[in-house]
Amino acid sequence: MGTTFIEYASWFFETTVFIYGVGLLLIYAILAILSFVNIRLFLRKESYTDYKVIVGSPLAPGISVIAPAFNEGLTIISNIRSLLTFDYPNYEVIIINDGSTDDTLQKVIDEFSLVQVDFAYDVKLSAKPVRGVYKSTDEAYAKLLVVDKENGKAKADATNVGINVSAFPYFLCTDVDCILHTQTLQMLIKPIMEEEKKRVMATGATLRMANSCEVDEGVLITIKAPRPLLARFQELEYIRSFVLGKMGWSYINAVPNVSGGLGLFDKEIAVKSGGYDPASFGEDMELRMRMSRYVYDNKIDASVRYIPNTLCWTEGPTSVKIFMRQRTRWARGLLQLMLAHKKMLFNPAYGRVGLVVFPYNFFFELLAPVIEFLGIIYYIFLIYFGLVNWPYAIILLIFVYTYSVMISTLSVLWDQLTFQYYRTWKDVARIAAMVFIEMLIYHPLIVVFSIRGYYFQLTNRKHSWGNMQRAGFKKKADDKVPKNTNPAAT
Amino acid sequence: MWKDLVDLLFQAYEQFSLLPLFIEIALAFIIIAIAATIFAYGAILYKRYRTYVHEKRVAFISPIIEELITDQVLLNENLGKDIPTEEIEFDKEALSNKVYKKPFVRQILIETLIQYRKNFRGEVGELLRKLYIDMDLQKDSFAKMKSMRWERKIKAVVELTQMDISISDVTILPLTNSTNPSLRAAARNAYIQLSKNEPFKFFDIATEPLLPWDQLEMFKIITTTKDIAIPNFSRWVSYSSNKSVVSFCLKLIAHYDQQSAIPAVMELLNNKDHYFRADAIICLGKLSAEVAEEKMVRIYNHQPLNCQVEILKAMGAIASGKYLEFLKTEFLYSSNFDIRMNAARAIIKHNTQNSRLLVEELMEMTHEENQLIIKHCLNPLIKY
Repeated sequence: MGTTFIEYASWFFETTVFIYGVGLLLIYAILAILSFVNIRLFLRKESYTDYKVIVGSPLAPGISVIAPAFNEGLTIISNIRSLLTFDYPNYEVIIINDGSTDDTLQKVIDEFSLVQVDFAYDVKLSAKPVRGVYKSTDEAYAKLLVVDKENGKAKADATNVGINVSAFPYFLCTDVDCILHTQTLQMLIKPIMEEEKKRVMATGATLRMANSCEVDEGVLITIKAPRPLLARFQELEYIRSFVLGKMGWSYINAVPNVSGGLGLFDKEIAVKSGGYDPASFGEDMELRMRMSRYVYDNKIDASVRYIPNTLCWTEGPTSVKIFMRQRTRWARGLLQLMLAHKKMLFNPAYGRVGLVVFPYNFFFELLAPVIEFLGIIYYIFLIYFGLVNWPYAIILLIFVYTYSVMISTLSVLWDQLTFQYYRTWKDVARIAAMVFIEMLIYHPLIVVFSIRGYYFQLTNRKHSWGNMQRAGFKKKADDKVPKNTNPAAT
Repeated sequence: MWKDLVDLLFQAYEQFSLLPLFIEIALAFIIIAIAATIFAYGAILYKRYRTYVHEKRVAFISPIIEELITDQVLLNENLGKDIPTEEIEFDKEALSNKVYKKPFVRQILIETLIQYRKNFRGEVGELLRKLYIDMDLQKDSFAKMKSMRWERKIKAVVELTQMDISISDVTILPLTNSTNPSLRAAARNAYIQLSKNEPFKFFDIATEPLLPWDQLEMFKIITTTKDIAIPNFSRWVSYSSNKSVVSFCLKLIAHYDQQSAIPAVMELLNNKDHYFRADAIICLGKLSAEVAEEKMVRIYNHQPLNCQVEILKAMGAIASGKYLEFLKTEFLYSSNFDIRMNAARAIIKHNTQNSRLLVEELMEMTHEENQLIIKHCLNPLIKY
């Protein structure tokens, strides 16, 4: 009886995992093809696009750039100067001082000749109280608006305040220390302005690691592949996630997430959806889901678009401890999101989001670490009882390994076919080398930290935000905590 | 030896066919994955090598092309002597250099000439055009025009437009209504620049939308191209069934301050589409159409929020002073923040004795939040 049950359970587990594995591999293969088609289409269009037409045009839609800052005293001045250099005619920069305990606010007041002003705004999204709003007396900084508020213990809370005070119909959500390309606004608004039938509710672009790049006063001087191993793994992960994953999803209008580090949003839809959720650990993905729910519930034909250009460079953690904290939080956010929006799973009322995006996130993002973890335990069980057919097991392991190497290599190839950000062979080789060891070193870490995140979420463990302070860009990168630029949900 | 090899392969196949299906699939995928990985690395190497070679070739050929343009055009001794451009002759030997027969070089030459023409107008610009024609480069562009690939067609249209080479209506007009948005936009822009008599003729036949991004480009071309015949855009406001064309014409009417278009624009206030009505209200505000104020106030209460806000903004722009009481009522009694904010802005924008007195009065009689709105609107540091 017992043997029969074990045999039945084994058969069930193996069959389920087999179907699951085949499904995952097929999805990656389809994504690789779709992203290739989409990137080629983008490049063909891009070859004759003249972005200069928007510079100085009175028809350019207004964009509010929202960048929360918490204890960024070391780098805040160069960060703001960097944000004030966009090649775009109609934008404002809103810096939210999220109750910093250092001298962030005072430095900004002194540097940009700020004075407190009587500022009226509509509290469309609830957030912690605002202590003061500042404008510059220097005409050169007329685009700058600084809001000082009580600490809300979440980027979402600060961003909501930014949305409340913003003047324009679109807002760009970023982190104050992200390094953005000067053409970011024009490149992100273009998919919105060239869509024929749908209303584009959000656009995003690729993010990369800035760890070993040369940066001067918030401006990127030289792009280099990260030297620290952990950051280099993340670079590969970001390339695969953005260039291969999101470009593929974008082709069928099923982008699962717009990264918190860089995303341009339709303010009306974001506000009507309720804005960012400060209680969420993955507020970027959560907002995307809520916006989708809103547009489907209100029968608005909307889409989310991605472009393959890298427009944002961000520092990735270089110590395992900080990396663990980041990934644990992302995993908690994913589980939280799935539970909060479970109604959308396989719900045809939510179109592709309900039938593609949500099931993908559920089965292949949320469950993947659990299934892998169970698989390892099952493997140990089989080894212990001498039930492993070693030749077959080795063939299957080689199969999974070579397939994963192929997908990652294709993403590097797609990246190289598009823009060739790295100027030297050495940089390409550095990233390409990661393809072969990622599965052995980096991937197990992701699985363990994800399981940890799920466990913490299920046991309602209090989240520790840790020290979010930054040391700023240096030639030799220090360990820093990255922002919520989750590329996980490809 | 061949027989041994065939036997070996046959044996391997026999053993392979005895394996379980999932192992067979796995083995097949291993081979595919390894092959695809090797191919991908090969492609990366090839792509980078090709880029490197391309850069080298461009670096080699660019000075030769620059020298040609400098000698034949920029330093041409006949420049500034009142000789008609078409009578100036180039050094035939320099133009017949074999290097200019290569398609790659000819393409670089076209692109360089286009860049130069963007920077030089007048006689030099005309001489650059003549060089383009004398070297038969327009044939290359027209050849691209016949391509089945839309991006090649766009390239041709752009090259011919930049070089001011006319394209027949039979060729270009159908492209202005192409279902491919990119080709359509390029053709429309070309038509405006190349058509000497009726540059906006395609508005009459446009059934495909004029996308906001295309409007940016077209707006820039219309407002920066010299000697373009600007028509009265109210013609399309009244008769076009293409909403995007009407919307674009409203922007052009406002830009060219076409006061005669006001009656046609006012007709749009009765349109069922509220986005359309909002566009018309914005246009009337920019035209300072005092005559439209009464109608805007009359329809105000039946409008959705976006139109109400635009009416208040328009009244601030017109600033006739006749409807200060209306603005005051909206400011004091509306429960909507945006309405109060825009009503306050409209009152302040009047900037007359009466409006200033009204602001003072409102500051005394209204509650704290409304006082903050007035202070916000009065502050010159706050632009938006």
